Amino acid sequence: MTRGVGRAVGLAVAGLVLLVWSFPVLWGLVTSLKTERDVLAYPPSVVFTPTLDNYRSALVGRQSILPNLWASTMVATATTAVTVLLAVPAAYAFARLRMRARKALGLYTLFTQMVPPVGLVIPYFLILNRLGWLDTYGGLILVYLTASLPFAIWLMVSYMEDLPLEMEEAAFLDRASRLRTLWHVILPQVRGGIAVTVIFVFLNAWNEFLFAVVLSGREVRPVTVAMYNFISVEQTLWGPLAAAAMVAMLPVIVLGVAGQRHIVKGLTVGAVKGGGRR
Amino acid sequence: MSGPGRVTLRGVVKRHGAVAALKGVNLDIRPGEFFALLGPSGSGKTTTLRIIAGLETVDEGSVHIDGADVTRLPPGDRDVAMVFQSYALYPHMTVFDNIAFPLRMVGTPKAEIAARVAEAAGRLQIGHLVDRRPGQLSGGQQQRTALARAIVRRPTLFLLDEPLSNLDARLRLDTRVEIKTLHQTLGVTTIYVTHDQEEAMTLADRMAVFVDGEIVQVGTPEEVFDRPNSVKVAAFLGNPPMNLVRGMLAGGRLVLEGHAIPMPGAGGNEPREVTVGIRPGDLRLERGGIPATVYLSEVLGEGTILNLRLGESLVKARIPAKRRMATGAPVEIGFDPACLHLFDRTSGLRIATALEKTGA
Repeated sequence: MTRGVGRAVGLAVAGLVLLVWSFPVLWGLVTSLKTERDVLAYPPSVVFTPTLDNYRSALVGRQSILPNLWASTMVATATTAVTVLLAVPAAYAFARLRMRARKALGLYTLFTQMVPPVGLVIPYFLILNRLGWLDTYGGLILVYLTASLPFAIWLMVSYMEDLPLEMEEAAFLDRASRLRTLWHVILPQVRGGIAVTVIFVFLNAWNEFLFAVVLSGREVRPVTVAMYNFISVEQTLWGPLAAAAMVAMLPVIVLGVAGQRHIVKGLTVGAVKGGGRR
Repeated sequence: MSGPGRVTLRGVVKRHGAVAALKGVNLDIRPGEFFALLGPSGSGKTTTLRIIAGLETVDEGSVHIDGADVTRLPPGDRDVAMVFQSYALYPHMTVFDNIAFPLRMVGTPKAEIAARVAEAAGRLQIGHLVDRRPGQLSGGQQQRTALARAIVRRPTLFLLDEPLSNLDARLRLDTRVEIKTLHQTLGVTTIYVTHDQEEAMTLADRMAVFVDGEIVQVGTPEEVFDRPNSVKVAAFLGNPPMNLVRGMLAGGRLVLEGHAIPMPGAGGNEPREVTVGIRPGDLRLERGGIPATVYLSEVLGEGTILNLRLGESLVKARIPAKRRMATGAPVEIGFDPACLHLFDRTSGLRIATALEKTGA
């Protein structure tokens, strides 16, 4: 009996927390289905006739976000691909090779994460401007890499350090080269870590706003910046903004659900074994 | 024997920072031999094995396999196979893929891989498990998979690093027999690291005893057990270990806790301080022997270990009878003087006597 009550209380608390957490999302969803009149109604109307007009205007209207979704996809995908390609071998080196500068290099990698992004916007702007890379895919991807690489390397290092060294030694004795060992023995076992890295890096690049708004322009405008354009001095197009936000959230939700198992594991990596890091 | 698989180590030194893990190891392992590296943990036996494998570099000295200097050769170029203490199986591969891995790395044709994996798996009685992953196997089956992966390549050298230490006691005995059989059928030189003297005694043709990064004795198990060349070896071998008590050697007599024992051919006329070793199994209860008192009696399945107070020393005696004796009970113990081992008190080295048993 008491167990039943405890369970009910637990569920109620969880439900409440979930409601608070998901309220903005639900509110956005509701708003995206309202006409402009209903959006501006005060007190807010709960009962209304839903409409898909906002989605139509966000997707195929004058301010269509389709090109922006494409830009975001390009930027996030390229950032993720380059990050994984570079971070996996880098993490392997950090985890395994006995380099003199290993510790210093590791710290250096981490230092770049310690500067608040706002402090970097102006320097990045000046650098990209000088390179003529403002408002280009290359420029934005490059800037995203400066944030995603250190993060991805450190995440992957923790996965690789958890692998027993003997397994690699066995592979060496079986005449596998270091690269083949990485490919046949290491990578299959850190697939979870790679999945987590892909999800985090992709989402960060997808959701990024600050750098995007400063460093992009007409040519390359990610969806986060495009949504911002629904807010102007004269008026704020709440309906289309909400609809665009809902559409922009789709890949986030899909990735989140698909990678849920890996993400939870990723957040607790090293928490149990702990002996991995030397 | 003159097949392949001769291993020679000369003056091998390995340092970890300021600490020397190996302080100049020399070793000659003959082709086809089952050779055990025995010693307590931290004595350098695993380091030696890893140096032979190429997994550790040496700071000084050289390693030769069949006359070729392999000191700087990477592990894959040495044609050695190793079974790790943890087995180091690839958890994402099936048993088949694990065993096939070394063959695939050298581009063996598919049909041959299938045949050789089947043969190796069959030899180790895991033929029915080839589709499983290591996680679905018991400890013993994982161990066999690791052994199969080692033999499938037909290497010139097998290196086994405490392969039985993760098995339960019963399985350990069975697997020990199988490893011995495997060695006898394949005839491949096998180097076997263990801290378990019983394993070394039963398996090895010859063994090297490691203490503190040095080899203190090399020989057949019988030689090492019957004639330990130093107090260190004597104290390490035997279960329970050899009793070591202080004594004095003078004029062909050994004085032990106030009792004089004739000891022809040992020492000169100068009195000499010695450490006297006697194995618990060589002590017996005997009327008219040296008086001692019982401190504790441990009755085992097949006999009793008596912990005795002999003068100022504590000694253990293993007697065949099951006899629980009260603490403080007086007993008299005797022994065959030929069973005594004498060591110099300062150097710890063995002192030869005329009584000594000579070999087997």
